[in-house]
Amino acid sequence: MAFDEEKLSAFLDGELSPDETRSVEAALEADPALQRRLEDLMAADTLAQREFAAELDEAVPFALAAAIQGAPEAPSKPANSPEPVVTRRSSFGLIAASLAGALAIGGGAGFLAGQNTTPELASAGGGWLEDIADYHAIYAEQVRHLVEVPAEEAAHIETWLSATLETEVRIPDLSGKGLQFEGARLLVAAGRPVAQLVYTDGDRAVVALCQIQSNAPNTEFASRTINAFDMVTFGNDGSNFVVVGDAGRPDLRAIAEDAATQV
Amino acid sequence: MGLVAKISKDEVLSCTQPRPGSKRAGWSVWPVTAGGISAVSSDLKRDLIGLLPRLRRFARSLTRSAPEADDLVQEACLRAISRADQWDPTQPLDRWVFRIMRNLWISELRKNTVRVGQGQVPADEADELRSVDTGEAALAVTEVQSHIARLPEDLSAVLLTVSVEGYSYAEAAELFEIPIGTIMSRIHRARKLLAQAMSDTGGASHGV
Repeated sequence: MAFDEEKLSAFLDGELSPDETRSVEAALEADPALQRRLEDLMAADTLAQREFAAELDEAVPFALAAAIQGAPEAPSKPANSPEPVVTRRSSFGLIAASLAGALAIGGGAGFLAGQNTTPELASAGGGWLEDIADYHAIYAEQVRHLVEVPAEEAAHIETWLSATLETEVRIPDLSGKGLQFEGARLLVAAGRPVAQLVYTDGDRAVVALCQIQSNAPNTEFASRTINAFDMVTFGNDGSNFVVVGDAGRPDLRAIAEDAATQV
Repeated sequence: MGLVAKISKDEVLSCTQPRPGSKRAGWSVWPVTAGGISAVSSDLKRDLIGLLPRLRRFARSLTRSAPEADDLVQEACLRAISRADQWDPTQPLDRWVFRIMRNLWISELRKNTVRVGQGQVPADEADELRSVDTGEAALAVTEVQSHIARLPEDLSAVLLTVSVEGYSYAEAAELFEIPIGTIMSRIHRARKLLAQAMSDTGGASHGV
């Protein structure tokens, strides 16, 4: 009886029964041509895996991430489930981005017509730093999901975020300040993409360096506190930056100065 | 160059503002409205955004078009968010969204039967990789995919799920709603076509 060639693929995938597996092994042992055909299938599979893996290196369009982040929730919840407690700032902070963009640009006027927009909502989108503080409150508590792309993919992070922000993103080495680079996230603040580079210190406290493209970058270092987080802002040619950490942290200014020499 | 470089800020906004009647490639663009501000399931959204590279890859294997794939991913993610109560958190989120995407795509194909085939040879009858479409969308895919982008669509998605995403034949059969024997046949056919293409371009082949 002719050998069923499809069994070679099923053999590769571990999909055959023990009896079928032994049968294929015996056929392979007896037929060098069949062995070569199996090798061809393995080579094809390796090629496919390599090409499929390469697709993961492509930058995700900002618009796609923003649309998901700003998506409306399910319209109703089960009557017997308690309503989650979500502060206005924290809920707004996560979706401020897209709405703030609509508010800030003339084309948004039509969008807002007839919508139930509150004054706080409209005014809250003014500064990206408030959104950054909201993000930091959420992500700094994450352990397993601290970052979206891990530090091992540093080259990809720089390529991806540079393409997304449309300005160069570099990962500063802050080990001299006791910080280890953990990875990065793409955030949306004030309607625009923000690169968040995440570092941890020896106590696993999180410090983030966030970058947003700007045509009017800051010319000097400035400190402020928002929502229990200290921030030091600075700029370079084409971007604004903020270093964010827990309130009272004494080394943020030094970290910002170190980062500023490398970005 | 990543796809993102082709997206202007206006296009970013186009996904966040309602534009009545706005559609691209047959997929509606979901607007964000002020009325949509509610308790935000940030974990689900965060996890979906983290999955985007793999979701886009699966969508491309179905649609064979980068723009349509991104529209499909967006539609599926928004549906997942709006139906979050239907997700069993003990099950992998990626597989749930893959299923949503596959169902949406099948639904779209049924609505638009013109798209089916598009003059191509049915997957189970193809005996070589299809020629490269010179359209802009196709080029965007083939820049990184070369061989797999030229597999018939029904073969590419099955190969991806089994060979890369780790589905068993039974799991893939359930996802694509086809018999296990058809999964085995398509997997083998995909590998044979790739092996043949490697042979044609100078790689080793032994007459598979």
